[in-house]
Amino acid sequence: MSLILDAVITGILTGGVYALMASGLTLVFGVMDIINIAQGALVILGAYLSFVLQQQFHLDLFLGLVITLPAMFILGVIIYVLFIRPLKHDRTMLSILVTFAIALIIEGVLTIVFHTNTRQIQSPYVTQSFQIGDFYLSYIYVFGFLLSAVLLGALYLLLYRTKFGQGLRASMQNRTAAELIGINVDRVSAYTFGIGVALAAAGGMAFGATTAFVPGSHYDLISRLLAIIVFAGMGSLGGALIAAEAMLIVENVTAVVWSPVWSSTVFFVLLVAILILRPQGLLGKLEGRKQ
Amino acid sequence: MDVFGRSNLLLRRSLGVIVLLCVTLIIVTACGIGGTTTAKNTGPIKIGISLSLSGDFAADGQAFQQGYQLWADKVNASGGLLGRQVTLDIVNDASSDTQVVTNYQKLITIDKCDLLFGPFSTKLTKPAAAIANRYGFALVEGAGGGPSVFTQGLNNVFDVSLPVANNLVSFTQLILSLPANERPQTAAYATQDDPFTQPQIDLAKQVLEQAGIKTVSYTVYPAETTDFTPIAQKLLSAKGDVVVLGTLLQDFTAFATAFKQQHYNPKAIVATAGPDQGDAFLKAIGGATSAEGIMVPNGWYAQQTTPGNQEMVQAFLKKYGGDISAISSDVPEGYSVGQVVQQAVTKVGSLDQAKLIQVLHNNTFTSVQGPVKFDNTGQNTAIQAFLFQWQGGKLLPVYPASSDPNFKTPEYPRPNWP
Amino acid sequence: MTDSMAKLLKVGSLLLLLVLALLFPFIAGNSTYVTIAIFAFGFAAAATGWNVFSGYTGYIALGHAAYYGIGGYTLAILCQHWHIAGGWIPFLLVPLAGLVAAVFSVPLGAIALRTRRHTFVVVTIATFFILQLMSYNLRGLTNGSSGIDFPLITDWGINIPGISFADFYVLPFYYVALALTLVALAVSWFVRNSKFGLGLLAIRDDEDRALGLGVRTGPSKLFAFVISAFFAGAAGALLSYYIGGVQPTFTFDALFDVAIALMVFFGGIGTLAGPILGALVLESVQKYSATVFTQGGGGVYLIIYGALFLVVVLLLPQGVIPSLSILWNKYVLRRIEPTDAAEDTSAGTPGAGPVGDRLPRVNEGASA
Repeated sequence: MSLILDAVITGILTGGVYALMASGLTLVFGVMDIINIAQGALVILGAYLSFVLQQQFHLDLFLGLVITLPAMFILGVIIYVLFIRPLKHDRTMLSILVTFAIALIIEGVLTIVFHTNTRQIQSPYVTQSFQIGDFYLSYIYVFGFLLSAVLLGALYLLLYRTKFGQGLRASMQNRTAAELIGINVDRVSAYTFGIGVALAAAGGMAFGATTAFVPGSHYDLISRLLAIIVFAGMGSLGGALIAAEAMLIVENVTAVVWSPVWSSTVFFVLLVAILILRPQGLLGKLEGRKQ
Repeated sequence: MDVFGRSNLLLRRSLGVIVLLCVTLIIVTACGIGGTTTAKNTGPIKIGISLSLSGDFAADGQAFQQGYQLWADKVNASGGLLGRQVTLDIVNDASSDTQVVTNYQKLITIDKCDLLFGPFSTKLTKPAAAIANRYGFALVEGAGGGPSVFTQGLNNVFDVSLPVANNLVSFTQLILSLPANERPQTAAYATQDDPFTQPQIDLAKQVLEQAGIKTVSYTVYPAETTDFTPIAQKLLSAKGDVVVLGTLLQDFTAFATAFKQQHYNPKAIVATAGPDQGDAFLKAIGGATSAEGIMVPNGWYAQQTTPGNQEMVQAFLKKYGGDISAISSDVPEGYSVGQVVQQAVTKVGSLDQAKLIQVLHNNTFTSVQGPVKFDNTGQNTAIQAFLFQWQGGKLLPVYPASSDPNFKTPEYPRPNWP
Repeated sequence: MTDSMAKLLKVGSLLLLLVLALLFPFIAGNSTYVTIAIFAFGFAAAATGWNVFSGYTGYIALGHAAYYGIGGYTLAILCQHWHIAGGWIPFLLVPLAGLVAAVFSVPLGAIALRTRRHTFVVVTIATFFILQLMSYNLRGLTNGSSGIDFPLITDWGINIPGISFADFYVLPFYYVALALTLVALAVSWFVRNSKFGLGLLAIRDDEDRALGLGVRTGPSKLFAFVISAFFAGAAGALLSYYIGGVQPTFTFDALFDVAIALMVFFGGIGTLAGPILGALVLESVQKYSATVFTQGGGGVYLIIYGALFLVVVLLLPQGVIPSLSILWNKYVLRRIEPTDAAEDTSAGTPGAGPVGDRLPRVNEGASA
């Protein structure tokens, strides 16, 4: 019984980190109608950046985010300007190809710089733990969860309490109308993409501290993130949080009560079942005709 | 004008065909021009190798390349093979099966290689061996040890390394040699669902169960697992006295981190692979104090006095730098492949593949990993498995006991995590 | 240029292509090139099948690796259970393996097609993962992670003087792969010129309107999906047989879908020749370049491959064939008088006007 409780607790905590990584993906989709396949690779890039700052410069993991978040934001804006904005037609589908190509390039660069040896971010947060019941919890899980909560909270405030957020939400609802009322949708899109990538960097730090990674880890990661945002309903931030939690809890509990080889199967079957009942996902809006 | 418009339209509609035609013509001509090197009986001997220089197996593939290269350097420095220099023709298979098939086909038919060495991993050795067999080539390899390689009914595949399933035998012997009051009562097992790791774990489990050591947990998990927390928790809550892991480096690191976080200190931790990766392992796990006491089976150690070993170690340090712990176990595996082929070819006196296969089947060879004698499926029956343990930042042989001064007394139980 | 000349050019080119394809093993003169061609045609068949569904309906399916895997496993399991010796018989079972994949695709497709657009993409990915996990976990049937080996082929029963066994070995696989591609192409052509195909194109343009106009969208989509699954399954069976075994990681390969989609997009989605062109070019380039660019642990290869895609997508966003077709159009238009140009445009391809501000929809660009 305590085993299940442990599984649920770690599921909730790691679920927060997945929610953070998925939020960038779903946000970008909501505003621009594109699927950023490179999100997984950007998470891994973020993990390597944190790894380097920690290893070479002995910078605290969370302090390191002060550098990595803005850097990744700028990278996101650059990617948008160079590769996403030029796509005029069939944007949704071509964006999948373009971002996949970007993912390959990021993987290639990481392979050259860091080789394919397994890395894991080492830090006192990772190795030190505290006890709950007969079970120890590493600080990184709690701090990673708190980081996710803070950043998701900040994202919420940004979306619902600022003028930029208004513009962003307007662009999400109706691009053309937003343009008509004078919102610079292009600039909103660029910033949104930057924010999405910055969120990937933050998620990457927490991911890299709890999981061993190599440059090629992004393939598994992106398929999990995609599953989360579809489960959630594409473009829904709250849904992403619920779906990420559901995924990690279901998988962890299945792993301990049944077998790890069935964990993903159970989640994917659940995903398919939900989508049969609610094709738009948990909190998604039913898709109307897109013109 | 209408006629012009219609025919233009028609022409435009046949554009696809025309483009396809042009591309096909280009491909066909490229093939025609492409390499038609003819086999020569003088000049260097060309050895064809496909290695995973990218993709999932890249770390191992690159280490293997070092082993092969060190051997080639040594042969060339000492007069070559059959009086000819050797060159390595290494192509990348990106850890993919379709690519490995293409590569060996290319090595044989276009590059006209004289000899073939194996790729990395059981999964890729299977298709490679089948092609070599079709062309009558011997495929000598050091990293395709999973049982499924040897059940295909091929007579041309030879693995110079330890047969995989027996890998953990030395560990079980160590456990059973302990006095009754120290002997563990329970054991917990977890293994990747992989043809390399799982057979080892299953055999070890069977042996230990027969000796009365209770299995408190046995978990198989998918190779793509990223979140190891629940699996680690399962092991943890079972509180096995010893933990036997069917891992590679990435998942071993994840388990070790989880155990550390959970203050779980089994008396012994042994893994099929991961701790044998030298520096890469130390970096991944976070230093020598964390590595202390962790065990891994292997057929080789740096201080071993096997033929050519010291020479190889010195050459490695000179060429690639670092210290002894930087040498991954892939290096001697690759090196041994070269040594065995060298001895067999010298014995044959030519590059005749049929004779080479015969000689490989019927003789005993030496290698940096120890003696090599193939059974009729191509597995090495002569090599001995040693158990290694990290002690004071070095991976040292601890069992079975030997007169070799490098052998240390096993640390059992292992110290607690730092 | 006259009408009949253009027609002659087309028929002549087609015949020449066919002859070249049939003679290719002998022109190439090396079994490595034939090996690459086997993979290229295997993928061409799968890509052409995929295009019948995704290209014509606009629904992007990224789970066809599941059907490729089912095809491969079906053939391996049949050979094992019926104790079939290596040789010609497994080739006869390739269509059966495709059929089994098609049968699987009926319920899976029906479930996935309840959703639209992006959700559909992810449901297809999910079905792939479920099936891949099954190949690991249903050990009794699939032998788990070790996979199943095909029976070894030691003799074809045919001896042609001057051709060694090993060189002859690739020929049966080559011609079966070529035949499979031709069948896929014929099906694709037939669908495109049928009322059923018109319905599919209508779905791509506007599904709700198509439904309103009386297209039975549900059954049409499902039927196209099943056709595409059949070719993925048959290709999976053939290529697995050539490789010599099935293993969960390789036979259920997530990158298969990416590869297929890239091939179709590269050549031109919704066109007849596009998928084949994409498969032939990309598969050959990829197989060749992976062996050459080994620097930086394959990192250089990944960067070049990625950069190539960026260039293609950004410069030829509709694929090679439609983009060239538009260029050709512009060239012709510039040569004839403006009034004729307007006439030609309105008669031929709506949208590809001299201004070129709005590119035609992907499939209208060209077709072979």
